[in-house]
Amino acid sequence: MVMGKPSEILIKARDLNYHYTGDGENIFPALKGINLDVHQGEYLAIIGSNGSGKTTLLKLFNALLDPSEGEVLVEGISTVDHDKIPMIRQICGMIFQNPDNQLVATTVEEDIAFGLENLTIPSAEMRQRVVEVASRLGLEQLLLHPPHLLSGGEKQRVAIAGILAMHPRCILMDEPTAMLDPAGRKEVLQTVSDLNKNEGIAIVHITHFPEEAAMADRVVVINDGCLVKDGPPELILTDLKLLHGLGLVGTPAVELADLLRTDGFKIPPGTLYNRELVKSLCSFRPKN
Amino acid sequence: MFIQTEKLTHIYMPGTPFAAEALNDINFTLAKGQVVLLIGPSGSGKSTLVQHLNGLLKPTSGRVYFDGRPVGGSKVELLKLRRRIGLVFQMPEEQFFSETVYDEIAFAPRNLGLADRELDLRVDKALARVGLEPDRFRHRHPFHLSSGQKRLIALAAVLSLEPEVLILDEPTAGLDPVGRRRLYALLADLNKKEKITLLIATHHYDEAAALADQVLVLYHGKMVMDGTRSKIFSNREALEKLGLALPPVTEIMHDLADSGLPLNKDIYNFEEARTEINKLKGSGTNES
Repeated sequence: MVMGKPSEILIKARDLNYHYTGDGENIFPALKGINLDVHQGEYLAIIGSNGSGKTTLLKLFNALLDPSEGEVLVEGISTVDHDKIPMIRQICGMIFQNPDNQLVATTVEEDIAFGLENLTIPSAEMRQRVVEVASRLGLEQLLLHPPHLLSGGEKQRVAIAGILAMHPRCILMDEPTAMLDPAGRKEVLQTVSDLNKNEGIAIVHITHFPEEAAMADRVVVINDGCLVKDGPPELILTDLKLLHGLGLVGTPAVELADLLRTDGFKIPPGTLYNRELVKSLCSFRPKN
Repeated sequence: MFIQTEKLTHIYMPGTPFAAEALNDINFTLAKGQVVLLIGPSGSGKSTLVQHLNGLLKPTSGRVYFDGRPVGGSKVELLKLRRRIGLVFQMPEEQFFSETVYDEIAFAPRNLGLADRELDLRVDKALARVGLEPDRFRHRHPFHLSSGQKRLIALAAVLSLEPEVLILDEPTAGLDPVGRRRLYALLADLNKKEKITLLIATHHYDEAAALADQVLVLYHGKMVMDGTRSKIFSNREALEKLGLALPPVTEIMHDLADSGLPLNKDIYNFEEARTEINKLKGSGTNES
């Protein structure tokens, strides 16, 4: 949150309801009365079990779905204003779970340029933007490679580059590391964290991994279509009563610390990471 | 040996400028009833390897043996093999094509020419084995189920052939913690109660590591490590060099032991970790 203006609202969801129509006449409510502001430059994590409505919320932010009731405003533009959809998607780009589902071109550079082509950016500027984002994300050497031969982490970075080329204010990410190996995960998370810290690009990150949610400034918990909790990671992600009740888990350090506290070990609340747990337990070192 | 590879090498598009060696001289054996964890960075050859085990891919050179016989031969032989070795692909629900859960699960056994009555029994049994009540799910539309349920249906579709071996490629990608736990509890049961041999290829091995007897590590198409779980996960440095991580609980134990606490590091679940850490109490500590 260095360069953004934290007080300014980037995305506003107001009394947001969304229902899918299912088998026959059945209506399935996916989101119920969501009120949520995403601020400029903020890193927001969204957690919740499968089917809680996280992805639906993200799709509403990106104008992939229209609200059933209520509204979503992206920099003041309502997502039902369909003429403005290209502008909304330029402000908020979206990264999906499986990189293979979002890479479309035969070379990395064409893929990065794909969104720009649709914005009818002149080709000289397009070229310049592609080269610029590729160098920012360390993809220069890969520009002429076919995307399907890249590693998972590289593919997700190409997808991020395609969004960055459109000069977005925000990146929406739906479980961007679910298909990646540990190195690819690290690579993507580092890239995202750098973009947020150094360039003030807001991040909305859906994840099932508590250690990824811990990277955020703020964590929002969704359950059964409702927003049930909103707060800093050290409060939300250590509240095991809340998390377990919703079928979620804490980081490994949080889970283990909880068991050890009941055994009489003194571990401060707010312990999220291994290094903090190790520090507490080291005070149990046998005396010489 | 139940499953064995002998100098298995696979080259994609051999003899063309695009030739790419995916597997190089792979030799491993797997005993009946074992749980084997297959890890390695993206692109290391895991998916290529598992597709050889049930004859979906043919080795460029070398051999694969199953239950004493070479894999391959006539179409009939291959069909027999695939009945005995079930393969659950990544995101299997993306390949659903039926209107009902029943048809989705019955597809493979129907191709075996089973009579309707037998087919009904197979479907019900497969649903029960994955913990879904047949009467509640048989007639549902597979697309209208939760992600966790879809994954269970995909597993049931493979189980309906009553295989002796299950090969799973990234089985929990995209599942929430409850879904992951449920799937692994089910796999543990299939292994322990029904003696089904499991080979699990995954990047997220929190739960899989807790079940595994043996761990195989692929890197750039080569089998670089192969041994018992204790052996492979005792060598953190070697794994990190390959871009791989320890299972989370094991990582905490390594962190603690590395800071000088006298603890066993060969631990894969929270309860074992708790018991081990509680031993610190008896060793003259300064706990309150």
